[in-house]
Amino acid sequence: MNPNNVGPLPQPSDVTLSFRAITANVALARTMAAALAARTHLTIDQIEDVRLAIDEAVSQLINDCDEQTHIHCDFTETAGTLLIRVGANTRTGLPPATDTFSWLVLAALVDEVTAGADNGIVQLELRIRRPASVTV
Amino acid sequence: MPEAPVVASVSGRWSAAKRDHARELFIEITDLPVADPRHKIIRDDLIEMHMPLVEHLARRYRDRGESQEDLVQVGMVGLIKAVDRFEVARGLEFSTFATPTILGEIKRHFRDHAWAVHIPRRLQERNVDINKAIDSLTRELQRPPTIAELAKRSELTDAEVLEAMDAGRAYTATSIDAASGSHAGGDSPYDRIGGDDLALEAFELRESFRPLLAALPERERQIIMLRFFKNQSQSQIAEQLGISQMHVSRLLATSLAQIREGMRDN
Repeated sequence: MNPNNVGPLPQPSDVTLSFRAITANVALARTMAAALAARTHLTIDQIEDVRLAIDEAVSQLINDCDEQTHIHCDFTETAGTLLIRVGANTRTGLPPATDTFSWLVLAALVDEVTAGADNGIVQLELRIRRPASVTV
Repeated sequence: MPEAPVVASVSGRWSAAKRDHARELFIEITDLPVADPRHKIIRDDLIEMHMPLVEHLARRYRDRGESQEDLVQVGMVGLIKAVDRFEVARGLEFSTFATPTILGEIKRHFRDHAWAVHIPRRLQERNVDINKAIDSLTRELQRPPTIAELAKRSELTDAEVLEAMDAGRAYTATSIDAASGSHAGGDSPYDRIGGDDLALEAFELRESFRPLLAALPERERQIIMLRFFKNQSQSQIAEQLGISQMHVSRLLATSLAQIREGMRDN
């Protein structure tokens, strides 16, 4: 994990979603993630895993946010890899611990997960790669 | 058109000769030892002969979102039971005897596979089709399909497939281990999964995590273990437990939410 991961995106995001940090909004991120995962031609197993992963990531941030804060989700597809960035200005400003069940879940659900924090902004990056056997 | 009573309509289509023939077969099989090769032949004949009764009964439930084939398959279980239990000497018509048993199996199927919330029938049916397409494509491709592949196979748009899969998440199938925790027999799919807590040992938060895991129902706990500590895919878990991948996903989502909530309260 690179602790100083917060930086510019490799390219402008395809879709950005921003919503208030309340649990009721998690479903929005989930639906968006599933739709974009489908568009990236990920398999249905991966799509379901992406749904669970964004649930976990967004819920983690919400736990550390005031209700007035906004959670930002960036979705970008590059060459068969869906990159999801979830970030917010959290209370502690600390990246999530990696010795938790929650982190274990994230790591199991996506191909790569990293977290970083910069100046109070905590960000999680999830990467999911389309299998080589899928022809688009 | 009002539906005729089942027994009459089925027996009614049968000629007297056919009914007599069935009766003769039942008389013959009564005295045959099960080991006799002729026993199996007659039994198979009787089952095949009465399949239209199952099809007829299954059609009564055709508008409830389950495929006709699935219902016939479930009804066949009832038919086989009825053939094995029928005592011709009692003088009852076989169809009269078999109908409650077949209907019982079909109703049990609905009870075990109830839609948790009201889903439009169109979506329920689509969901059944998509689940079938998932099964066949997974076999053909040797991996789970993409939405686009599913859409192509089911002649739907990507959005329609996603919508139907969302509907699928509202579907509960409780049959797999209805008597969870109470079974001692060893015929539940879960008995094939060895309990393995080793992976948990290395896991620092186990103190607070263990009780949350233990609070989950047996099946949900097994699914969490398989997915996150044994690194099995949702499809693999689904196959192992004999439930759909959508159902595995749904159970994972609920369990993770429950664990998250528990962690927060700690």
